[in-house]
Amino acid sequence: MLYWLSAWVCGSGKTLNEIISLQQVTYTYPGTSTPAIKNISLAIPAGQFCAIVGGNGAGKSTLAYTIAGFVPHFYHGTLQGEVSVAGIKTSSTPIHDLVSLVGLVFQNPFNQISGTKFTVREEIAFGMENLGIPRDEMAARCEAMMALVDINELAERFPLGLSGGQMQRVVIASILAMQPQILVLDEPTSQLDPIGSREVLAAIRQLSSQHQMTVLIIEHKLEWLAAYADRIIALAEGTIIADGSPSDVLSDETVWERGVGLTRYTLAARQARAEGRWPAGLKLPVTLEEAIESFQAAR
Amino acid sequence: MSEALSLYVARPSRVHQLHPLTKLALAGFMLVGGLLLPGPWGLYIFWALVTLPLAFLGRILNQLVIATLRVAFPFALSVFLIQGFLWTGGTPLFRVGPLSLKQEGLAFAIASTGRILMVVSSFLWFALTTRPDQLMATLSQRGFPAGLSYMIVATLQIVPRFQARANAILDAQRSRGLETEGNLRRRLKALLPLVIPLVLSSLIDVEERALAIETRGFNRPGQKTNLIVIPEAPWEPAARIGILICAVLVVGLGLWLR
Repeated sequence: MLYWLSAWVCGSGKTLNEIISLQQVTYTYPGTSTPAIKNISLAIPAGQFCAIVGGNGAGKSTLAYTIAGFVPHFYHGTLQGEVSVAGIKTSSTPIHDLVSLVGLVFQNPFNQISGTKFTVREEIAFGMENLGIPRDEMAARCEAMMALVDINELAERFPLGLSGGQMQRVVIASILAMQPQILVLDEPTSQLDPIGSREVLAAIRQLSSQHQMTVLIIEHKLEWLAAYADRIIALAEGTIIADGSPSDVLSDETVWERGVGLTRYTLAARQARAEGRWPAGLKLPVTLEEAIESFQAAR
Repeated sequence: MSEALSLYVARPSRVHQLHPLTKLALAGFMLVGGLLLPGPWGLYIFWALVTLPLAFLGRILNQLVIATLRVAFPFALSVFLIQGFLWTGGTPLFRVGPLSLKQEGLAFAIASTGRILMVVSSFLWFALTTRPDQLMATLSQRGFPAGLSYMIVATLQIVPRFQARANAILDAQRSRGLETEGNLRRRLKALLPLVIPLVLSSLIDVEERALAIETRGFNRPGQKTNLIVIPEAPWEPAARIGILICAVLVVGLGLWLR
């Protein structure tokens, strides 16, 4: 196991400072007239744990598909601007070459199970089989990934017979097993209960910091993001409306109103402010620690 | 495995340990051998001497016989009644009112029932003892197009999900007051609100599934590997050739005896 872990680290060892780069990207789905994302420029350094937030129809999933190369390769439509990952232009690289670079986990786990495998272990190996990874290494990665997302006891189960949350773990493990340098997750915890969500998010966070894996995650659990994300990008109507540290973005009033929402800590502080019990100039908290601190200061 | 839609029955048997291709060869041998043997009873002798012992070895004799009879019985009954009594000319054996049972019709019915028996039991013998994923892995290793084997295996797997969705749509529309019971006209009227969401949601699913296998590099050109090892005894490739030779001999024998 150590063998492949080290291989992974060495594989992504060439530290490109900007592993994801978008320059004035506008994309319109076929058959629609308004672009789903408009004029987006973005640079994400390697190893960053970056979250995308926004309301329905803000363009979050489209942005995720664009970075993974499924826009324009899978969805076609018109893409303007330039997207590159790890120095490679996605528009001129076929999707089957991009998948070993960028892993994509999308919302509905039911449809991401291949349907050709009869055990969870084989399902996790499906991607690696397509990449032509040798059997011994596949077996080692399968065990490591199942341990990571805590599904060892499901190894021999039939994948399509699992619960939504279990499937979500299987899907994440199967993408991680392909060892992408960049992991793009579109609401990976939608089917998980609160404890399961925290476990899975913590595992991804841990992988990201241990192996310098760049993570781009679309997630609604703002309290978790406030505590663990390096950076938050807020989208509305296809454009970036805020981009920065969680405490800056999530405490920004103009962001709340545009479909992003706010953490329960910010909500409490806002209430205190509305009642005139919040000192002027004191920043609204976004995490539990900040809340304790600033509420004590506000007293 | 039990949740999977497949006929496979896991048993610790010598037959189960055989390589899928060896089993495919054996099933093929049973099929051609059974179909080409002459006379109304040749098939049954072959069935009793080859298929049943093989099923016994695979410890699936009960399942095989029950499933085969279930498929073959309705066919056998109709063929006996129609061919036995409505055979034109021929030697009557006995009379029932205006109809008489003809010897030639009876022989024809016995032979055609035997054929159905043979086709069904060869297929079932293979399906009951072979894991579908092993079959798929074997086929892809032998250069069978991956897309085609994906289509076969995945389609079978998705059937239960499709049924579950159909039921969910039925419940959802009923809870909104759609009447799905009653006379034919009412039922026909209820069909459209059930079929449209089913078809549309399935089409959306197809797109997502295509996306899903792309994310796993399914269309990547080049050599694929397999996690599972498909056990193959060293003598099996030679045995397969032997089986094929036997099949050719049986075909020859069948044609010669005809």
